[in-house]
This record gives sequence, C-alpha cells and structure tokens, in this order.
Amino acid sequence: MKRGMVESWLRTLLLQASWNYERLVGVGLAFSSEPLLRDLPGGREGERYRAALSRAAQHFNGHPYLIGLAVGALARTEHDAIPIEKMQRLRTALAGPLGSVGDKLIWAGLLPVCSAVALVLAVWVSPAAAVLSFLILYNMVHFVLRFWGLPAGWSSGLRVAQRLGAPAIKQGLRMAGPLAALSLGFALPIVAWLVRHLDGHELIAAGLIMGVGLVFSRWLWPTLGGNRFGLAAIALALVLGLL
Amino acid sequence: MIENLGWLLLWGVLVGLDLASVVQTMIARPLVAGTVTGFILGDPVAGATVGIVLELFALEVLPVGASRYPDYGLSAVPAAAVAAGAPGVFGSGFGVAVGLVLAYVGGKAIHLVRIENAMDIGRHREVLDTGDARAITGLHLRCLGRDLFRSLVVTSIGLLFASLVVRWIPLTLQSVVYLSVATVGAALAAAVSGVGRLAGRKTALPWFVLGLAGGLAGVVFG
Repeated sequence: MKRGMVESWLRTLLLQASWNYERLVGVGLAFSSEPLLRDLPGGREGERYRAALSRAAQHFNGHPYLIGLAVGALARTEHDAIPIEKMQRLRTALAGPLGSVGDKLIWAGLLPVCSAVALVLAVWVSPAAAVLSFLILYNMVHFVLRFWGLPAGWSSGLRVAQRLGAPAIKQGLRMAGPLAALSLGFALPIVAWLVRHLDGHELIAAGLIMGVGLVFSRWLWPTLGGNRFGLAAIALALVLGLL
Repeated sequence: MIENLGWLLLWGVLVGLDLASVVQTMIARPLVAGTVTGFILGDPVAGATVGIVLELFALEVLPVGASRYPDYGLSAVPAAAVAAGAPGVFGSGFGVAVGLVLAYVGGKAIHLVRIENAMDIGRHREVLDTGDARAITGLHLRCLGRDLFRSLVVTSIGLLFASLVVRWIPLTLQSVVYLSVATVGAALAAAVSGVGRLAGRKTALPWFVLGLAGGLAGVVFG
C-alpha cells in the first residue's frame, strides 16, 4: 500500500469541513492529498511538493464519498510527473462527473431509499429499529464507496474516468431514481396513516394544505421550498387558532 | 430537559458536524437525530414522531454544489425536546413547528459559516497559493472549528427557544391540532415534490405510483 494512504483516507472523512463558495472542496482536497505528496522528490521542503499542494488547493467540486478517486488520481499524476496541462485537464474533467455520479447515486438514490425504509420501520416496528436499519444500510454502501475510491484513484492515475464507468456504478445509476421513487411511494401512505386520529375536517384540511403545497412547488413558486411553505402554514394555523 | 442539557448539547454538536464537515454517517437525518434525542429524554416515540415529519421535509433537499438548504437535522434535536414528555399530538405538532423555525435559522447559519470560510481563504490567499502545508491544514481546521461553533450555538439557541416557547406561548389544544394539520400537510407536499426532484418526474412517476399502490395495500391489509 502507498505510504500515507491511510492518513489520506482518514482526512477525506473531513473533506467538507472547509467547504466555501469560492473553492468549494478545493482546500479539503489539498488537506486530504497532503500525506500522499510527502514523498515527492525533494520531500516536504521540495518545490514539487509545494507546487502540487498549491494546485490541489484550487477550486474543485465532487461528491464527498467519491472524492477519494480524485485525491488518489491527482496525487498519482503528481508522482508520475505528468505535464501540468494534462493534470489540469484531468482535474477539470473529473469535477463534473464526480459530482453528478455521486449526487444521482447517493443523494437521489441511496439516501431516499434508506430514508423510506426507516420511515416504514418507524411506523410499523419501532423507533430503534428504524434508526439502526437506516444507519447500517446507508453506511454499508457509503463506506464501500469510500474504501474503494482512494486506492482505485491511486492505481488508475490519468485513466481514473474509466473507474466511474464501472458496471456496478452504471447499474446503480440506472436503478437509483426508480428505486427511490418506488420506496418513497410505498412509505408515504404508511406515514400518512399516522394522522388517522384526526377527524374528517382536519384530514381534509391536511389534504388541502398538501395540494396547495404541491401546486406552489410545481407551478406557482418552485423556489419557495418546503421549509418556507411549512412556516407559512404554521403562521396560518396560529392565526386560525387565535381566532 | 435541563438535567440532560449536557447530553443534548453534545448530541447537537455531533449532529451538526455530521451534516457535512465530518464523515456524513447521516446521524444528521432528522429521523435519526429526533429519535436519539427522544431516547436521551426518555421518550423515543415522541422523538421519532417529530423526526418522521421533519424527515419528510428533508426529502425535498438535494445538497448539490452550492445549493442552500434548511438544517433539518440539527433542528430535530430541540424539536424532539419540545415533544418529549408532552401528551400525544400536543407535543409533536408543536415540536415540528419549532423544528421548522430552527431549520430555517440553521440553514442561514450554514450559509454564514461558508461565507466566513471563503473570507478566510481570501485573507490567506497568497500563502495558500505557495502550497504551504501548514497554512492549508490550519485553514481547514479553523473551518472545522467554525462548524463546531455553529453546531453548538444553533443547538443552544434551539434548546433555549424550545424551552421558552413551551413555557410562554399559551396554545390551546385546538391551536396545536391546527399546527399538526398544517405541518403534516406541508411535510407530505414537500416529500412528494422531493420525489419528483430527486428521481426526475418522467422516470419517477410510474415507479412512484406503483409504490403508492403497494403502500396503500400495506395500510389496508397490514
């Protein structure tokens, strides 16, 4: 195993701590790459080490669970003394796919599926079962991706994009959306059943609020967001309560 | 709540850090954060009920790129604290309402931290661009400290707000039922709208309808 790999992997767990609107995860990428760059020719005082860190700290975006691919591949290109233009092209080419693959696979796939499973278990079994199943199911996939990413990036170097086209990832991308929709569709009536104790008028009111919320989010004010709509609904409820 | 204040603050900080800065094991999901808060306060069912409703709101959030979003995870801690020990709908409706207010405030706090991180970079641009490892590590750890501070402050304000609201806002049972109706309706709207946003409307619709049919069958025959 490459020296510094374990420390670098541990640092990727903190990657987003320095997330900002200027360089996004650029500084985090440099922080995570640093252990892999220490044995560049010249060592820590060497010009190549400092130049590599400076390049790593520039603007970069990528999904945190897949960032190991970028950390490993970019560190490898520094060790292989690839021309700077090629490195920059790799960096630019990686940022988009790393973000979009991770977003589709995790935020729009794995997370809603696990959330739906937990919601159903919270209603049908117990709160403890919901929490445990959610954390175990989600983190199994999460850590598999993290464990795979860094060594895969390091061993691939410039050819790292091929790793993103792996059959398992392609299959995951195809299944993520439909599975999320299916599981959330299944969970919603079961969660909605929790409010069965409300009387007829109250159920109709809840249904109306839901309908208005959907009309707002789909057609009237798509940027309003559920939080602000919820706050407006609370204000209305408080006023009605006072009256 | 007071006797468990230390545990609640610690849990709030862990939840706040898990949202983005540290690992992201998803203890920052409202269902998890709310339920564990319920366990801390001896009422996991109340915590889970608040967590379930806030989880529906959170399904709408897609934290991609530079998007800005409410912090439902951290807000679930004070929200569940409001609900714990209160009788049935009285606690959960009120708790979710408190949670929605705090999620809004928490989202603003995340935005402020990220602006401050960018300003920190601006102040140290020259040394960062020389590839100084100490400067990079120092900046990263300062940003981590900033997020820790945000988590602590939002949790503290949230718990203070929750205790003041419970004590000083004289709500009738009817008002709390209205709150429950409003928050559940809005939560379901957010969740359905989230499904479309997450999975793509055309792709998602048939699968969503199939899931709905299964869920309805589960309710009827379950």
